[in-house]
Formats: sequence, C-alpha cells, structure tokens
Amino acid sequence: MSCLIVQSDKTLLLEVDHELADACRRAIAPFAELERAPEHIHTYRVTPLGLWNARAAGHDAEQVVDALVQYSRYPVPHALLVDVAETMDRYGRLRLAKDPAHGLVLTTTDRPVLEEVLRSKRIQPLVGARIDEDTVSVHPSERGQIKQVLLKLGWPAEDYAGYVDGEAHPIDLRQEDWQLRPYQQQAVENFWHGGSGVVVLPCGAGKTLVGAGAMAEAKATTLILVTNTVSARQWKHELVRRTSLTEDEVGEYSGTKKEIRPVTIATYQVLTTKRKGIYPHLELFDSRDWGLIVYDEVHLLPAPVFKFTADLQARRRLGLTATLVREDGRESDVFSLIGPKRFDAPWKEIEAQGYIAPADCVEVRVNLTDSERLAYATAEPEEKYRYCATTATKRQVTEALVAKHKGQQTLVIGQYIDQLDELGEHLGAPVIKGETTNAQREKLFDAFRNGEISVLVVSKVANFSIDLPEATVAIQVSGTFGSRQEEAQRLGRVLRPKADGHEARFYSVVARDTIDQDFAAHRQRFLAEQGYAYRIMDASDL
Amino acid sequence: MDTGEPRTLAEDLRARDDTELARLLRARPDLLTPVPNDITQLATRAATRTSVLRTLDHLPAFPRQVAETLAVAPDPCDYGTLLVLMTGEPAAEEPGESPGTSDGFAEPLDPALARAVTQALPRAVATLRDCGVLWGGEERLRLVRTARDVLGPTPAAGSGTGLGPSVGEATAGMSPSRLQEIVVDAGLAATHDSVSAIGALTGLFQDPVRLRALLAEAPEGARAVLERLVWGPPYGEVRDATEPVRAAAAATPVQWLLARGLLLPAGAHNVVLPREAALTLRGSRAHRFPEPAPPPVAAVARTARTVDLTAAGQAFTAVRTVTELLTAWQTGGPPVLRAGGISVRDLKRTAATLDLPESETAFWLELAYAAGLVAADGEVDEAYAPTPAADVWSGQPAHEQWAALATAWLATTRTPGLVGSRDAKGRALSALGPDLDRALTPQVRRTVLALLAELPEGSAADAEALLARLRWERPLRPGADALRADLLRWTLHDAEALGFTGRGALAAHARHLLPRPAPQDGTGEGEVAGRKGRSRGGRSAASGVNSAAAYDRSVRSGETVPGDPRAAAAALAPLLPEPLDHVLLQADLTAVAPGPLVAPLAETLGVLADIESKGGATVYRFTPESVRRALDAGRTASELQAFLTAHSRTPVPQPLSYLIDDVARRHGTLRVGAASAYLRCDDDAVLTELLADRRANGLGLRRLAPTVLAAQADPSTLLERLRAMGLAPAAESADGDVLISRPDARRTPPRTAPAPLVDGPPAPDDALLGAAVKAIRAGDRAATAARRAPSPREGGLPRTPAADTLATVQAATLAGESLWIGYVNAEGSATQRVITPTRVEGGYVTAYDHTADEIRTLALHRITGVSALADDPA
Repeated sequence: MSCLIVQSDKTLLLEVDHELADACRRAIAPFAELERAPEHIHTYRVTPLGLWNARAAGHDAEQVVDALVQYSRYPVPHALLVDVAETMDRYGRLRLAKDPAHGLVLTTTDRPVLEEVLRSKRIQPLVGARIDEDTVSVHPSERGQIKQVLLKLGWPAEDYAGYVDGEAHPIDLRQEDWQLRPYQQQAVENFWHGGSGVVVLPCGAGKTLVGAGAMAEAKATTLILVTNTVSARQWKHELVRRTSLTEDEVGEYSGTKKEIRPVTIATYQVLTTKRKGIYPHLELFDSRDWGLIVYDEVHLLPAPVFKFTADLQARRRLGLTATLVREDGRESDVFSLIGPKRFDAPWKEIEAQGYIAPADCVEVRVNLTDSERLAYATAEPEEKYRYCATTATKRQVTEALVAKHKGQQTLVIGQYIDQLDELGEHLGAPVIKGETTNAQREKLFDAFRNGEISVLVVSKVANFSIDLPEATVAIQVSGTFGSRQEEAQRLGRVLRPKADGHEARFYSVVARDTIDQDFAAHRQRFLAEQGYAYRIMDASDL
Repeated sequence: MDTGEPRTLAEDLRARDDTELARLLRARPDLLTPVPNDITQLATRAATRTSVLRTLDHLPAFPRQVAETLAVAPDPCDYGTLLVLMTGEPAAEEPGESPGTSDGFAEPLDPALARAVTQALPRAVATLRDCGVLWGGEERLRLVRTARDVLGPTPAAGSGTGLGPSVGEATAGMSPSRLQEIVVDAGLAATHDSVSAIGALTGLFQDPVRLRALLAEAPEGARAVLERLVWGPPYGEVRDATEPVRAAAAATPVQWLLARGLLLPAGAHNVVLPREAALTLRGSRAHRFPEPAPPPVAAVARTARTVDLTAAGQAFTAVRTVTELLTAWQTGGPPVLRAGGISVRDLKRTAATLDLPESETAFWLELAYAAGLVAADGEVDEAYAPTPAADVWSGQPAHEQWAALATAWLATTRTPGLVGSRDAKGRALSALGPDLDRALTPQVRRTVLALLAELPEGSAADAEALLARLRWERPLRPGADALRADLLRWTLHDAEALGFTGRGALAAHARHLLPRPAPQDGTGEGEVAGRKGRSRGGRSAASGVNSAAAYDRSVRSGETVPGDPRAAAAALAPLLPEPLDHVLLQADLTAVAPGPLVAPLAETLGVLADIESKGGATVYRFTPESVRRALDAGRTASELQAFLTAHSRTPVPQPLSYLIDDVARRHGTLRVGAASAYLRCDDDAVLTELLADRRANGLGLRRLAPTVLAAQADPSTLLERLRAMGLAPAAESADGDVLISRPDARRTPPRTAPAPLVDGPPAPDDALLGAAVKAIRAGDRAATAARRAPSPREGGLPRTPAADTLATVQAATLAGESLWIGYVNAEGSATQRVITPTRVEGGYVTAYDHTADEIRTLALHRITGVSALADDPA
C-alpha cells in the first residue's frame, strides 16, 4: 500500500503519516500545487501551470508519470497520464530567442504549432516578418505580450532571449551576526539559476532577505515594488541593516517622496496613480537601467503593473509571495510575465524547522442579544455584515480576550474604523488606520516593539509587510468579507518566531448565526487547509 | 463431362458431404430460414441476389479479390488461368522480354508477393466454395451467375479490378460497318461478320507481342492515355467519343486509339479501355495490389500486470459511475422526449451530476440502458428510472456488476458515439433515443477484441493497424467504412473506459468474456495454425498469428465457446480494491475515504456530507447544509457523532463535532405544520425576528401566539423560503411529530433489456445444422426419386413441383434452352407452350413463346409444370 491516491479530477491525495510520504512529497512537489494541508491527508492539484512550472525547472513528463505511477496506491487513470504527457509536451515547442541578425525571434521545433499560433488574431499584431519556416520575428516591445497570449493559447513559450545586465552597482550581504537560512539560500540560487520567477514563502519566513540575496547576486541597480509606504520603509530598513547598501543608496518613490537612487523602492499605489488618463509615474521604469526588479506580494500585483511588466521582459524579475492563489484568478499572468515558480516551501515545514512560530487558532462564537438579532434581521442586505461584525457584544468579548492575555503583546485587527475607534477607546489603546501619518505609525510600531504599549488596534493598513516581532496574540474582529489571503496575512502577524518560543494565539471573534459566521468559515477553511487546525469556543466559556 | 463434373450448383452441392454442407449453412445462416426442402431449393436460394450480396459483403479482402477476378475471367475458368490472373504472366516463360510488362505499363508482381498469392489462393478458392458462390471442379471453376453480375464491371459501378467491359460487350451497339473500319485500321484482315471481327480484335488484344507491335506505332501521348486507364477506372471523358475516326484522319492520341479499337466509345463523351487490352497491358493481372495476407497487427508490449491493474481500476470506476447514475436517477430521471431519448439539457444535467463530459455520459447512459438497468417507466408523463433489475444489480459484488455491464456492452448494437450527430433527415440523435442501433457495432467490437486477444498477453495494438486489418477482413462501401473507422475509435475508447483493456491491451479478466474456438473440430488447416499461434501466443511473432486465423474467423469459423461472465468476474475480483469500513476525518471539515467504502457507510456519508472528489479515494466535505440533510433524514446529533467516532481512524476534529452540534441545536427550532401551514417556535424572539424580516413578506406570516405563527403559503414553500433565509425549520405532522424527508426510490415496472439488433438470422448451432442437413437430404432424395418417374404423358400438361419449375426455368435461362410448359391463363384455361426463357425475375419469366411467336411475360405461379424438350426446336 503506497501513500498517494490519484483522483480522476487531477487531485493527488497524500497520506502524510505514511512512511513514504516524505519521499513522495518531494517527488510530486515539482509539478503539483499543494492545495490543502490538513493534518492527515494533503491534497495536491496537477494543473497545466504546475506542469509547465515543472518543465521550466527541468523536469520532463517521464519523471512526472514515473512519480505518479510509483507512489500511486491504485492504478493511475491512463487518460490522466496521457494528459500530463501532452500538456508538458506543449511547453517549449515555441521559444523566444535572440537572433544576431533579426533581434527577438520566435522559433519552433514543431512547425504546425507555429502555423497554428500565427493564425491567431491575437498573435498577428505582435509578430513581424517570417524569417524562415520555423522562425518569425517578434517586435521587441511585445516580448511580454506574446508570452501572455501564447500561454492563453496553451502553447507557453520558453524565454531564451536573455536579460540585460543593467547598470552595475555593488551590493553585498553583510552576514556578520546572522546567516541566510538554508531555504532562503536555496530560493536565491533557484531564482538566479532560472533567470526570472516567483519564490513562494509563508509570511514571516523572511522573503525580504530572499530579495536582498537576489540583489547581492545581481549586483545591479534594483527597482523594488511594494504594497505600501510602511512596507517600503521596512524594506529600506532591512536592506540598510543586512547589506552593504547605505541610507543614501536606497530611495523611496511614494506619494510623499520621489527619490530615484541605485536601489529604489516604489509603491504599487504611486505607480498606478492615473492623471488625465495617463500614468505619470510610469517613466520610473525607464529612469534607470535597472538590472533587477523585485515584486513584493505578487498575488496583490495590480492589473496596470502587469501591463508595465509586459514591457520589462528583458530585465530580471523576482516575485515574492506567500501564496500563488489570487482572488482574481490571474495566476497565469504571473506565470507568463514574472516567471514560473522557482521555489516553494510549505508553511508547516518551515514551522517545523523553527523559523516561524506555531499558532493556536481559535474562533470565538458570540451569541447576539435579542435586540441585536432583531436589528440584524431587519438590516439592509448590504449592511448586514457590517452590522453583525461590529455589534457591541463582540466588542465586549474582545475586551474580555484582551484582558485574558493581559501583559502579552496583542494586536486587535479590524475592518471598520468606527468599530476600531470604539475598541481603542474602551481598551485604552492607540489606533492605527489609514489617516494615521506614516511618522505616527512608525512611532507607534516602535513603541509596540519596545513593549511600551502592549495593545495596538490596527485597521487593514497593517495587513501587509509590517514587522511586529513580538506580537503573540492577534484578535480579529472583522475582515474584508471572506478574503482568504487577508486571513493568511493576518495570521502571519503572529507567526514570527517568539523570543521565548511559546505558542502564538490567533482569535477570530464571530457573531453566531449571522453572515459573519459564513465568512469566517470561508476564511478559516483556508487556515485549516494550511494545516492550522482551529478550535471553536463559545464566548460564554471565556 | 460425364466424369462426375457437376453441371449445376445444385449438383455440386449434392455432391458435397454433410460437413461441407454444414459449413455452407454456417457461413450463410440466411439460407436456413426456412429450412429448404431439398438441395435444388437450397441451390436456388443460394443464388438469389440478396443472399449472394450478403455473402460477398462478409468476405475478407483476398477471397473477394479472387471472386472479382473470377467475375472478369472466362466462365468456367480453370485454376491455372485464375492463378495467372492473380499473379501475372510468369516471367520465366520468356526470359528477358516478358510480354506486356516490358512495356512498362505494369511492373511484374513482387516475387515474394506472388509466392504469397500462390500460397493463399487455394484457401481463398476453398472459402468461396465453402460459402457457395463458387462451384465446379478445379478445371471448371464457376462463379454463381448472380455473383458474376454483382462483381463484374458495369458502366454504373466499376469492378474492384478496375477492368472495363470486354470487346464484345463494349461494341454491342456498334454498327457492323464501323466495326469493319476498326478491324481494318487495327491492321487485321477485313471480315464481313461482326462476330469474327470481334474475335479477331480480341485475339489481337490478347496477344502481347502483336499488341506491343501495334502500340509501337502509336503517337506520343497515346501511351499516357493508356497508362491512365490501364489500372482503372477504365473510363475516360473526351469531347466526342462516337465520331467514327479512321486511322488516317486521327489527329489526337485518343483518336488514334479510338480508330484502332483500343478505346471504344461508351456514350457520347466517354471512352472505355476494353478488358482484354487492359489485361494484356497489365501483364494479365486482375489486381494491381493483391492482398493475400491480412496486414499484420504489431504488438506493442506492455506489462501484463500493469494492464490488468489499470483495467481493473477502470472496471471499478465503471461500476461506480453506473451506480452513481442509478443513484442520481433514484427519484425519477429525466422525461422521455416525444421522439424517444432524453433532451440535450437533461444530458448536460446528468453529465454535470456525474462530473463527466457529455459524450462519456452518453456512453454510461447507453450502457446502463443496454444492461437493462434504466428504462422508460411507461407512465403518462413518461420518464426514465432505474428498473427492478437495477436493484438486483446494486446488491451484487462489484466484480459481478462489472461482468453484467461488460456482457451487455459486448452484445449491444447501441452506439453512443453517435449521440449528438445528426441523422439523414438532419435530426439530432439523442441519448437513449431511437436510431442509435448499428448492426456493425458489436461486430467491430468483437473483431477488435478478438484481434487483441490474438496478440501476446499484455500487448496493445496501434489503432491504424487495427483499422487496416478490419478493412482487410471485411472491405466495406465508403460510407460504412467511415462509420467503421469511427466505431473502431469508439470501441477502443469504450473498452478502455469499461476496463476491458488497460493501456490499450486486453486484460486477463476480459479475455474470459470473448468467445473462443472450440477445442475439437479442426478440418481447416488455418484453424489449426491459428490455434497453434494462439497457444504459442506469448513467444511467437505477432505476424504469424495474424496471417493464419484470418478467413477462418470470418467465414469458415468453426464452433466457438461463448464467453464466460462468471469466470471473468472471478478473475477480476482479486484485482478490485477491498471495500473499507473507515474514513479519515480532518479539521478542514473533510473526510477522506482512502478507497472504496462498504455500501452502508458510503450511503450514510453520502447523506451527511457532499462528495468533493472521486477516484481511487473519495473526499467528502461536511457543510451545515449536508449535516442538516442528515438531520432531516431522521438522524440525531448524537447518532451522527457516534457514527463518525465509530468509522473514523482519526479522532473526530473539534470543529466537526461543533458543526454537528451547532446545526443540530438550530435544527428543528422552527416547526412547520403541514395541515394549516403554521409556524411555531419556543423562542418568541425568533418569530418576532421572522415577522420583522422583509424577506418573509410573501409568506403572509401572522403571529397567532407568542410562539406560533400562521402562514398563507403552503408548507413546502414556507420551508424553502425559511431555509433560504438561513433558518433551519423542521416539518411537523398533524400530531406534532417531526416529518422525516427521505424521498422514496422510484422504479419502472419490470423491464427487459433492449434486444440487440441482429444482422441476419442467428448463427445456427450444431443440432440445428445437423437436422437441417438431414432434412434437406431427405427432401432431396424424395425430389430426385420423383424425377425418375416417366415424363408427362403425351398430350397431357407437364406437372412438376413449384421449386423444380423454378429451378428448371432458371437452368434453361442460363443454358438458353427451350422448355415445354403447361400454363393456366387468367381465364383459367390450361394451355401448353414451348418457350425459351430469357429472364426469371420477381416471380415472372420473360420468354420467347414459340407457340405465339413473340416475347411474353409469364407468371411463374401459373406454370403448372415444365419439361425439357427432346429436341431443340431451333
């Protein structure tokens, strides 16, 4: 009896307690995406993107089929094996290359495929003259576009056209009092070897350092795209601390500052600001001869940035993210424009190595009072969530939770500002929200880090990329409806390893029998699938 | 001629022994219905057009080629001539300048191929003889007249040989003077007699040396014209074919040829190359590409173990899919369309339920229908539903279920691959609908599986090779051939889906289902070779197996042992996964069954949780709705908890028990009355909440008491609406009990499975054959005895039995002899006539009536008797 079951819907079920499970996981990880990782049986999914990722990483169909056949408990459906082989075979039939005479060209090893794609209306405007039967020239500006379209047509092209080196700039890691962790080192190597691509690491696993490592390899001017200003400051802080770069070499390009330095950190927001129908900050991409572009939180990359990225195919690109799951389903754009997945480590594995803290997830169910239930029932549909998420009963339970964990660094996270203000007032804690100035934010974060204040109430501005190493308790009172990826980010707030190694707590306060409960179920399913089993308790048991 | 050479087919048949007659009847079961009275009748029936067509239609490629050759050969034809026509003029006779071939019109046949043809020819002749289309001794091989007509070249339909009509036939309508001109232009002595002119031309065309000499003078281009026509089709289009061109006036190559009779006019704008000339130019070969041996089907080796396991896995999936289908239609399937079948929308819906593409769904539907598991229920609003047989089937173990499905599939003529295509009238063919039966379907299935069975164990075959082989074994008209190519594709796919094959190779358990040749009976040497090949199977080269068993299966096939479903089931049983009695519960509210589950567990889990993923394992997901469904079905929370604890290998996760308790807590809080649609709740806040909710407006709710509401809507709507609002009401009966909503299973009245469409009468068994042969012999003896009686009295009407009358008239037609008949006219008066019949057709004889001196059509049934004339009146 082996440990893997291949399902007809192309999911793979892996029994984790099986003695062969570890070997099997290693064999299937290159081509199958881990979809769910609850305690006993992990679910992987075989998708075309996954198979192409595997091809990009140098695996061939035979290895994939072998892995499936070797570890499968039951006979593998023949149709699935054929499908795997056919899908993988599609990758690399077309390749983009640099021709000394004609510049960027699209070549093929299989002429009918080239004929097929050239007949597509969407390809025609992107290509130039036919050079010979197997080769057609491509407008250099359309390198990204054509990769995107080819992927949509099901014939992903391998990009051999190479990269420009960019303007050289010395960058070194200063590993005096710290070391890159083995998996970070591995991620950097895989990325550099592959040229461009995405590194998937859980929150708190040190993605910033992977970025720094990549920059140290590139030794060139670098453009870093991050989600918001706070995150930009943190990047800058980390880079100055961990590398040979100095304050002056790192610039910030945001709503408030417009510095362009050898290493420039820009926010998505400023790039996607539109004035009179144009993106005025777009020239940032051309302002220097960048050798490396780093995309932080790739799964949040806004649509316009994809468009710019399409024009940057000659530069090395590194994507960093905790999850390839995008709520908008644009995973294929990430694949074609930034690159295939180059490194992936499951959350639990890194936790087992002690690099992130274990967490205890608890859902607290709150019974609404009769009058609250009545008000909820009569609320307008669009107001229902807001109402049940911000009831007074929930506030009381939150206060009780904070009291219970008195003395521990506690974050209270919510969606609705008035609720947060009210909570802050009742808890006597400062509130960080959108209107809080960056200076004020940093001041408060510092105070929180130093333990001067032990409770901080934050809105969704704190969802991303702020480093709060000593937060041990997070209490979520409301969220962006059922967003799974927000849940992952918030859990990440408490997953940084603790000085004393004790367990982190992650509470969700949920109003029973309301839409709040449904959303919570959706979000928590994601946690459970990541292996974070949660408990449910009644507020009355607190 | 008195040396025992038969003069008619009947005589030939009479001379055959019982085994040979039995073989004829086995090859042509249509001759047996009804059992013929005597050999004369048997011979008459064997020569009818329908029967001959049917027989020729079932011949493999090589015997058919031989038959085609005989149709253009002289009648009768001796074996030597036939061999030359098949292999070409032996090159050895005139070394260096082999006639005809040295012109370069036809390369001589490859010696290896010629040898193969020489080797295969006796058996092909035997095959034709066995199936009664060929008779006569070695020196006087005669094709049955009807077969000659069918296979011979006609202007409407070319022969398979690509040869045209003979000089005699092609010049039939030509004026004698024109014929004279041609003879002269061809350089022959002038003659005034058309018959000798034709003879002279034929002689010229048949003589390779003289023909070559004539062609040597031909202008440029004439050769190209001949080259285009020589291998057929022999007809060519020209501007003016009938213009009488003289050799001197010939301007174009075509005119040059026309003037010398090498091309003869066949209509205003068509010319034809006469058969004799073409044959000489071809080096006497009737076929360009004789196919003496069936194309080999190469074996693609797979591991037998993998094949069996893969097929078993697929077999298990097949059983599960059909089970799912039956479950899905448990409470009544889709309605029957007026024209029969289910609508496209219902097919889509079923496909979505089964999570399969529509084409696959159609296959499973048809399979369940063919196995008699689903049928129309025959109610006023007719709908499909499982049959009572489905209940029996469901209770069987999986391997027997599979055997039942597999047996049904082998036999059924239903062709699900056609679903979605359009028939001749442009109507879409719907699943389970009419017009999906194709007689060819089971034939293709059986032949393909038999071919796979002949390969060494665990070998797959290439689809193209299989198709080539099928084409050889039974050449078909283009339309039917296209259908067969599709059928082959579907058969290979279906066999894989059903677990007959694994990775394209026949699985061991499926082997038991195929009919096998009987162990005894081994008159045909081919059969012996075939069986040897099979028994050596594992080691022998596949080609050896392939060439041997070919005709035997299709024409001379001996008795076969039918497949054994029980043995198949027994062979499959150990390969199927053992059903499990446990699942793994996980904190993300899923349960994984790492294999098939025992039926009761699967059934309960199916209610308590939704199926999320299928395959070797099953993934179930618990949701509030699914738990509520279980509670609705009468389970209690504690029962469910105990059930999960008992069947889980792992501790029940806290969120799951919490979920069950939480749903149970709310379940039944609201109670809905059926009699007067009331709503009551111990918690009056709930009712207040409900009354205040504007989504409840349409229900017409009114508070009766602090804990009771009345509703205007009927209870079911009320339940639905309340559930839609996220509440969990329970229905209540008149005396306050909770109503359990568990739908009853729906069944059709007893239904039998659809009978497969049969192509011709069923193959007779040995008992019937024996009896039939005996009966025919007895009848024949009686008939022959009667014949010895004195000829009709002088002056009296001749009296003969109807069968004799027909046979004698037909014989006379062929021989061109005259007969003395007794005839009763429409007024009832009896007359005697002397006639020379020219055609017998549809119960009428067209004959020259010597008495009346004109051509008359006489009704066969009015002829009281016939008698040959002592002397020919002519």
